[in-house]
Amino acid sequence: MASIWTLHVGATSFLPVRSLSDGHQSRSEFGLDSKFSNCSNWNRRAAYRTLVVKALDSDGGDRPLQNDVVVVRKLEEDNVKKPQQNIVAKLPETIGSLPVFVYSTGKLSGTNLAIGLCIVATMLVIVVRGYATRKSSENRAGSVADLVRRGQVRSDRRGISTPLKYEDPFNNPMVKVSKSNSTVEMCGKVYRLAPVVLTDELQTVHQKRRSRAYQWKRPTIFLKEGESVPPDVDPDTVRWIPANHPFATTSSDIDEDLAQNNVRQKHGVPFRIKAEHEALQKKLEALQNDQKLSKLVIDPGAARDFERPMKSNNLKSETQVDQSTSNPAISDQVSKPPPEETINP
Amino acid sequence: MISLQTIAKPSPIHFRPKKPFKRPPKTLTPIHSLLQYNRKPQLSGETPRVVVITSGKGGVGKTTTTANIGLSLARLGFSAVAIDADVGLRNLDLLLGLENRVNYTVVEVLNGDCRLDQALVRDKRWSNFELLCISKPRSKLPLGFGGKALIWLVEALKNREEGAPDFILIDCPAGIDAGFITAITPANEAVLVTTPDITSLRDADRVTGLLECDGIRDIKMIVNRVRTDMIKGEDMMSVLDVQEMLGLPLLGVIPEDTEVIRSTNRGYPLVLNKPPALAGLAFEQAAWRLVEQDSMKAVMMEEEPKKRGFFSFFGG
Repeated sequence: MASIWTLHVGATSFLPVRSLSDGHQSRSEFGLDSKFSNCSNWNRRAAYRTLVVKALDSDGGDRPLQNDVVVVRKLEEDNVKKPQQNIVAKLPETIGSLPVFVYSTGKLSGTNLAIGLCIVATMLVIVVRGYATRKSSENRAGSVADLVRRGQVRSDRRGISTPLKYEDPFNNPMVKVSKSNSTVEMCGKVYRLAPVVLTDELQTVHQKRRSRAYQWKRPTIFLKEGESVPPDVDPDTVRWIPANHPFATTSSDIDEDLAQNNVRQKHGVPFRIKAEHEALQKKLEALQNDQKLSKLVIDPGAARDFERPMKSNNLKSETQVDQSTSNPAISDQVSKPPPEETINP
Repeated sequence: MISLQTIAKPSPIHFRPKKPFKRPPKTLTPIHSLLQYNRKPQLSGETPRVVVITSGKGGVGKTTTTANIGLSLARLGFSAVAIDADVGLRNLDLLLGLENRVNYTVVEVLNGDCRLDQALVRDKRWSNFELLCISKPRSKLPLGFGGKALIWLVEALKNREEGAPDFILIDCPAGIDAGFITAITPANEAVLVTTPDITSLRDADRVTGLLECDGIRDIKMIVNRVRTDMIKGEDMMSVLDVQEMLGLPLLGVIPEDTEVIRSTNRGYPLVLNKPPALAGLAFEQAAWRLVEQDSMKAVMMEEEPKKRGFFSFFGG
């Protein structure tokens, strides 16, 4: 029976009677209105109370056992455990006892499911879209970003400027002019504006002053210092260029007409390249013709030009050897080193 | 830097009224953009416009101006060819980041080693911009027909199959030597780059005189490396002072900007920077005025302290 009693006690500890009271406390702690909780749960609390009373009355014959030592101790132990169990039980019970949740769990389960599905679908769409954009940005081969990634374009020299948008009126945010046009704010600094007072008369006055001060004729001919002035040239229009001028020279290897044609040339091979190519072609042809005509004739002079210097030295040494063999006395003198005594008397 | 002038109206947006008999059609007020970024600039003058960018003194920013204005023109939708006529000391290819792509120059074209189209280096960022170098650093330009060669080049560009470029910008070398004479030969108009200091101004005045003697009347100036803080402290001549001394219409005023050095070293012109730098904005506006043959009507003078809002105390 004691076990049954303990069971009952344990059951009562988890029964909503206690929990309701605790819940009421916790709600008041959370700042909820006590009136609200009292009114809404009044019927349920009464029902639970009658249930507990009935349960206790059912084992009324065992009441004397309540005074047993074991039972009392068990009760004390249970009383010690109760607050701990209450802490765990407090939150779900509190939530479950809230009228909103009671209502929603009963009637809105279908709506909740739909909302949940919507949230999951949205999340899925966001993730898929992000993944797709990342994929597409990675796949854009040849773009500037791709070139930078591959190290072919320096990132700090990329085109960071955007084209100006015309026919799209906008005020430059960096520049603000005051309503009275007396000040202007540029890049966060305010400047005073002053009107320009230069008139056309003043400009002509300055022009006249300069025309009096500076008499100048543009030089039309450049001559190196020391050269004689051509007879039909005004000496004032001659510009004398020193022979050691760092970047200007009066001499050029092409004539004026040719240079002009070179500038005007729009298509085809440039003149100099073409000329060099043609010259090489002619030389090659000439060489080939010479070889055909005089295949068997060897020009010793030309052959000597193509000889390598080492070879000529060897030839010389060979001739010397030949000569030395023909005249052994001289060769001995040449080949043998002179005695030390003769060198250092 | 700002041109205060009548603003061309952008295409107005018309709303269709619900009740046409009661209400007249409502029109939106045009956006008053003084910088005129709301429309494409109208190209004026005969094309190709041959512009020489010159200055007497060296180091004032001729090459930087050429690179930035050239690429600005390309961004604005005009085709441009930049000719680096600085024979001995060419640098335009470096500023544009095209130094590795220059295989042929005008000297090779004249000698017949290559055609003109092979010597033109097309920019990959803006394909309507091309670079042409006169010569390689260690080669010598034959001056017997130096000036004439540039005239032939301009004619050849005019008659090429793709169509004539809208602009031919010639980067002139410093000084008034043979290189200068060669560079100004084919030009119809000139952009004079100067800084607000007396050495540069004297040279600029002399060069302007020479250009006028040569028959180039359309001369505009760009005042470069302007520091408004120094002008305020009266340590630097103001832009209006410079204009008073030279008597030339202003094409642009370029403020001193550290971004210029950075862009030069990167080989990436300033006007392509995003977000734009102050000097880049100024170059863009100068290019705008060049297209329309316009000049500045107002200049930025000095920096004013920015008015703080009510919530600025709280970081607003």
